[in-house]
Amino acid sequence: MNNLVEFMGNSGLWMAFLGSAIAAGLAGCGSAIGVGIAGQAAAGVVTEDPGKFGKTLLLQALPGTQGIYGLLIGFLIWSKIGVFGTILPVTTEQGLMLMLSGVPIGIVGLISAIYQGKASAASCGIIAKRPEEFGKGMIYPAMVETYAVLALLASFLMLNGIKL
Amino acid sequence: MAIVKMKKATMIALQSEKNEILSSLQKFGYLQIVNLEEQMEQGFEELQPDSDNEAVGRLEAKLSQVKYSLDFLGKFNKAKKPLFAQKIQVDESKHKEYLENEEKLNEIYEDCRSIDSKFTEIKSSETKLNNIISQLNPWLSLNENLEDIGATKNTNTILGFIAGKYEEELIAAVNAEDLHAYLVKVGAEKENSFFMVTYHKTCEEKIAQLLKQAGWTKVTFSEYSGTPKDNVERLKSEINELENIKKELVKKAEALVPEIGFLEILYDLISIEKDRRTVVKDFVKTDKTFMLQGWLPEKFTGNMTKVLDGITDKYTTSFEDPGEEDEMPVLLDNPKPVKPYEMITDLYSVPNAKGIDPNIFMAPFFVVFFGMMVTDAVYGIFMSAVTGYVLYKYKPQGGMKNMMWIMFFGGISTFFWGGIFGGWLGDLIKIKPWWFNPLDEPLRMLIFCLILGVVHLYTGYILQAYQSIKAGNFMDAIYDQVLWLMLLTGLIFLALPPLAVVGKYMAIIGAAGTVIFSARSEKNIFKRLISGVLALYNVSGFLGDVLSYSRLFALCLATGVIAQVFNAMGVMMGGSIIGKIIMVAFLAFAHVFNTALGVLGAYVHTSRLQYVEFFGKFYEGEGKPFNPFRIKTKYIQE
Repeated sequence: MNNLVEFMGNSGLWMAFLGSAIAAGLAGCGSAIGVGIAGQAAAGVVTEDPGKFGKTLLLQALPGTQGIYGLLIGFLIWSKIGVFGTILPVTTEQGLMLMLSGVPIGIVGLISAIYQGKASAASCGIIAKRPEEFGKGMIYPAMVETYAVLALLASFLMLNGIKL
Repeated sequence: MAIVKMKKATMIALQSEKNEILSSLQKFGYLQIVNLEEQMEQGFEELQPDSDNEAVGRLEAKLSQVKYSLDFLGKFNKAKKPLFAQKIQVDESKHKEYLENEEKLNEIYEDCRSIDSKFTEIKSSETKLNNIISQLNPWLSLNENLEDIGATKNTNTILGFIAGKYEEELIAAVNAEDLHAYLVKVGAEKENSFFMVTYHKTCEEKIAQLLKQAGWTKVTFSEYSGTPKDNVERLKSEINELENIKKELVKKAEALVPEIGFLEILYDLISIEKDRRTVVKDFVKTDKTFMLQGWLPEKFTGNMTKVLDGITDKYTTSFEDPGEEDEMPVLLDNPKPVKPYEMITDLYSVPNAKGIDPNIFMAPFFVVFFGMMVTDAVYGIFMSAVTGYVLYKYKPQGGMKNMMWIMFFGGISTFFWGGIFGGWLGDLIKIKPWWFNPLDEPLRMLIFCLILGVVHLYTGYILQAYQSIKAGNFMDAIYDQVLWLMLLTGLIFLALPPLAVVGKYMAIIGAAGTVIFSARSEKNIFKRLISGVLALYNVSGFLGDVLSYSRLFALCLATGVIAQVFNAMGVMMGGSIIGKIIMVAFLAFAHVFNTALGVLGAYVHTSRLQYVEFFGKFYEGEGKPFNPFRIKTKYIQE
């Protein structure tokens, strides 16, 4: 550890950046995959009945929130270390903590968005065959999102506890 | 209660007056007719199932004509469809006139048919002509008349093509054999080379063999005269002519477009009559009389007799309370502001006739949670203003209307929560929060959200208790809900020092009661106690439910921080005057986008809290919605 600290010039700044990259990057990847999966199924439904575009678009948008949560935590890390103004000195320890605070939303966002996308794709089947049950079709993907919401909260509370 | 009490109406009247009675019942619109065929089996041999299939068939045929014409003319209707279509007003005295104008309908229908079939004809001829043109295309540079291709006394000329890669091989082979033959390459297309071959008949066999080796495909144009070029030009002009005919046809069809209004009115009028004739199959009859049975709201029984009295006095009715095994249809009667929220519940499941209508309890929580998840005063004003304007100006109907009202109330709630937590376009307008800023005191906010969750869940438990009491199981409510709530409340009190002592005893009583009574239907005392102890594990389920309300905070956070991100991005742009203009445009777009995102999230997650956490505690759905025999229209005002 000491070697690493010396190697990095005793600065935690890069770790803080790594943390925001994990949060925004991984969660964004997850949303991209999830929205893609849902979009494929949605396009299939719309080929049969173009009138269902609005409903399928809503389902497709659901796995998109993780990317936003990730960006949100990334943004909070940046504003904490002062990327938008003067950059504050960050010790290695603080940097490590900032990095770890990006991990929950990064990892949970990545995985939950993919599975939410799959659930959305399955719900597109509900819209195709029983459009009147649309409300139920929205709930299944929303169940998956719960964990992304909890991870967002975890990341936020961790971040909030770090004093610079 | 909010579920309307129903009566089962039975009526017997004369066949000769059936049509008139049905007409007024349809206009009355509060009777859901049930099928009597099953009841007939119970020993009424003299009763026959009634039906009016002949009329239904005739009306269906007519309806399909109208529908076909509407669909066909719809393709030529250039008028833009308004976002919120208004229904057409038709005076009732004119209904007959429309219905009896069979001639006009037939005329329109036949016109549509003939135009449509001509279109199909033209399309197929066009395809045919295009096919021939594509066949002739490779031969365009052949400057011979097609009728000249063929045999003379001593020679023969043929056309055909081979794969391009064998081209050189073939020419070399023909040259090597020194045959009396002449090969002309006319053209090439894709992978093929097109040749005209002229040879003396003496070497026919040899040529045929060489061509076969090269993979020769023969082409003949025996029906054509003139050069290929002439032919292609002729065919193209024929296609042009067809195009002109098509334009004429389109004009003809467009001339019929003004009749769409007539067709739409007719569509509805025929549908109404068809409904009236179709419902007859649920009746039973004797020679002179018929009998029908149906559900209607208790308060409308008087109105129904009044309607019938207006027509005839030769009828008899009876109104009975629903029996144990009857599946009563469900009609909800809620105050006007709660009405739109029925849609949210119906999306989950229609309330059960034997259960309770949750809407009046659900709606306030929905409004509060929805607002908390967006939490921006300006967004709230924006949402209410937009939806309010749409509601006032366009008067949307059905699901759209409900959605708009939900958004309208949601907007008001969003405004208040935005003020409470100090969100005015994120941090763009700095106004001190009325209460506190959740970003500064996240733990306080989290605890507040969880408290709201506890209140929501407790309401659910209390409703379950009420349901048990209503069903006459008073002790169930005590054993299942009161003890349980005591346990939970006790545990919560344990965390609050001044109440800890009270909490301890409450928790102990609640826990002991739950262990003893939760599995009271179990005879074996040991099994009963073991199941009772296991029931205590539901506390962890309750904990999970409460934590689920932390999403209120998370979504509020998401809207607020994203708004701040946009503001920060916008401020970066605002250097020069042009930059400031771009900044304003960007911020306007970004905040509208964020509102849309917030509303979607708030709608989905509020619904989830209602469906999973709240309804899970007490709600019994799977009711059958009340679907009365009434005038149903698509285009005209009912």
